[in-house]
Amino acid sequence: MPEITIDSYIILSTTLFIIGALGVLLRRNAIIVFMSIEMMLNAANLLFVAFSRHLGDIDGQVLVFFVITVAAAEVAVGLALIVAIFRTKKNIDIDTLNLMKG
Amino acid sequence: MNAFGLAPLLLIFPVIGVLFNGFVGRQFVDADRKTGEKWSGWFGTMMAFGAFAVAVSLFLSLQAHDYHAEVVYILDWINIPSANFSVPWAMRIDTLSVTMMLVVTGVGTLIHIYAIGYMHGDQDFSRFFAYMNLFLFFMLILVSGSSYLMLFVGWEGVGLCSFLLIGFWFDRVDKNGVWKNANAARKAFVVNRIGDFGMVLAIILTFWAFGSLEFDPVFGTALEMFESGEPLFLFGQEIAFGTVITVITALFLLGATGKSAQIPLYVWLPDAMAGPTPVSALIHAATMVTSGIYLIVRSNVLFEMARLSIGDEMLFGVITTPDLVALVGASTALLAGLIAFTQFDIKGVLAYSTISQLGFMIAAVGMGAYVAGMFHLIMHAFFKALLFMSAGSVIHGMEHGHHHLHDHGDDDFDPQDMRTMGGLRHRMKITSVVYIIGALALAGIVPFAGFWSKDEILAHASANDSWVFTAVYVMLVFAAFSTAFYMGRQLKMVFFSKPRHDAAAHAEESSNLMTYPLIALAGLAVLGGLSNLPHFVKVEQAAHGEAVAHAAPDTFAFGLNYLGLEHWLEHSLDAFELTEEHILHMPHTPTNIQWFVAISSTVLAIFALSLAFFVVYRKKPETAQDPDPLQKTPIWWFSVLPLNTLYMSYFIPAFNRMAKWLAFSFDWTFWHDFVHDRLIRDMFVSFADFTSSVIDQKGVDGIVNGAASATRQLSGLLRRTESGYVRSYALSIFMGAVLLVIYFLFTTAG
Repeated sequence: MPEITIDSYIILSTTLFIIGALGVLLRRNAIIVFMSIEMMLNAANLLFVAFSRHLGDIDGQVLVFFVITVAAAEVAVGLALIVAIFRTKKNIDIDTLNLMKG
Repeated sequence: MNAFGLAPLLLIFPVIGVLFNGFVGRQFVDADRKTGEKWSGWFGTMMAFGAFAVAVSLFLSLQAHDYHAEVVYILDWINIPSANFSVPWAMRIDTLSVTMMLVVTGVGTLIHIYAIGYMHGDQDFSRFFAYMNLFLFFMLILVSGSSYLMLFVGWEGVGLCSFLLIGFWFDRVDKNGVWKNANAARKAFVVNRIGDFGMVLAIILTFWAFGSLEFDPVFGTALEMFESGEPLFLFGQEIAFGTVITVITALFLLGATGKSAQIPLYVWLPDAMAGPTPVSALIHAATMVTSGIYLIVRSNVLFEMARLSIGDEMLFGVITTPDLVALVGASTALLAGLIAFTQFDIKGVLAYSTISQLGFMIAAVGMGAYVAGMFHLIMHAFFKALLFMSAGSVIHGMEHGHHHLHDHGDDDFDPQDMRTMGGLRHRMKITSVVYIIGALALAGIVPFAGFWSKDEILAHASANDSWVFTAVYVMLVFAAFSTAFYMGRQLKMVFFSKPRHDAAAHAEESSNLMTYPLIALAGLAVLGGLSNLPHFVKVEQAAHGEAVAHAAPDTFAFGLNYLGLEHWLEHSLDAFELTEEHILHMPHTPTNIQWFVAISSTVLAIFALSLAFFVVYRKKPETAQDPDPLQKTPIWWFSVLPLNTLYMSYFIPAFNRMAKWLAFSFDWTFWHDFVHDRLIRDMFVSFADFTSSVIDQKGVDGIVNGAASATRQLSGLLRRTESGYVRSYALSIFMGAVLLVIYFLFTTAG
């Protein structure tokens, strides 16, 4: 069994981040997009924790708490927005929200 | 007591009159004819009288001030330090100018009163009084100015007023369709321009030669130059002082011949009678036409210096200017006196008589008899104003008689034609009496005013030895004879014999407003001579100056004294003083009466008057249509006026042709069509075209529109990035993040 090193965490978190980014860019369902954003945030969290452990510096873990807090607030606001969008549009397809088209 | 400070009022009063009658008088007259005329006329008259009162106070001040001339400064006018040229508005108050002021305002006031009656009912009543006051204003500037330039302002101003007043009835057309009044006004104006041309040249030359235009410096500098005898440096060469003074005085003479109607420029004055009669009396007999005499008297020092020019300094090397002045005056007096025989217009006779009498004055001042000239000027102002206004009264009476007969009026009737008159002494008693007084004064019958003044001129001419004086004396005696003759003829035709027209038989006396001033002037015409009586008893006299000194009492007054006017005026005539100092040699006027001259001229005058009564209109003609028997005699040759014919047949056509050429070729074709339309208008239009189509539409509009369309195209490009899809915004955020990462990688790694 191969040894789990810092490289493994980097690869994992990069993979998660790319999946999340692709989800944001390619999916049209607002919930999915939302989840993808959460995935990117958590990929970053994973990397923070991994480097914190690796470098023996607690600062990274402190930052993770901030990210989690912000993410929680963001989910609260975001879900409220999605509910509001659904009430007006009767769906949550973000491509229908193109009022700002130039 | 000293009232010199009042002097500006002399000019301010007439100006107030001009403003009142020019701007509001018309409203008064239009609102209510009767009271409006009173307001307008009496206001103008009061302003004239106010000026007269100021003149009287100046007269008294001069007496209290020991007759010393006073220059009252009013304000700066022209001041060019680089050319050392400065002329202020200032009034020179001395005995000469005050004498003129008294005559102008005194006679002027009487004529204003008369005019209220004469102009009654005229549609431009207040305009007339505005012009009359304007004339007084300019005439007072003329006589009171302290410099030749101010004199010239008045000179031109009275010329303007003369033009306006001769053409007062400018819309009147005679039965031949000729604009008689307007033409007469233009003729006067144009002829006077010739004289004014001489004046301008004389003034310029005066400034060049003496470096000033004010009387005192001019005469002072001239005297210094005269005494030093050094030539002047003018026009890049040396010119003898005598030549300069001769040319200046000759040019002054040209000016005087224009304004004072002398040969060769007298032709305008007879036509000027087209104006209203008060104008003829005030301007063309009593005051304005005497300004030429005033000019020469004022410049007496210059003329006396010119008298002493010799050899090449004289005019054409043959005659001095004062001699020329005397000869011009005497020949004018004679010629005009002869022409007056042939006139049928009552005012025409008086017009030629005026020219003739002005000739007497010019001859007098040319001979150095300045006091006699001024004396005759004043006396003439009295009796000629009287005669003209009486003639106006006669004309009024004739018109009245004519209207009385023919309600519609036949157009052929001329109320001024003496052939239609006759026997008016029964119909117009006051007018005939004052007219006869005026005529006797003019004819020179003892003891009327004209006798004393004319006699003084004749005595002066007879008492000096020179061929010029002799010639002048002979001509003036003949002129005096003709004066008495034409006045006798006029009296006979107008007031005596039988009426030759129904209008004359029904003529009526004029209103009191017209006759009272006549009576006042008649009094002056009778008593005026007292102001300068000669000595009847021989006074010891070694020299001219000494006799004057002996005769002068300590407190003499102007008038009612032997030689009163002479004592009065000598304070203004520097030539008197200089003659005493033997610098100049002015011919002296005898202070004793010259019995031969006095008696011979009186006898001649009485003879001429009786001759006229004997030969003119004795039995025939009985009606106005019959010819005058005098027309068959050689006297009538003078009715063909050589100068007037010349003027009419050559000068006017030439002038009209030039005017036509100027109007059509120069003004219309060249100035209007070419310069105005082609050059100025077309250039301006094409320049405007250029600015509007190129600069404005292409330049300014191009910048603004270009900015707008550039913005539009740029925004068209930019709006494509705004797709409205969240994903594309997210993508751009990612791309930005990637770019940032790349940037940091490259900058930190390196």
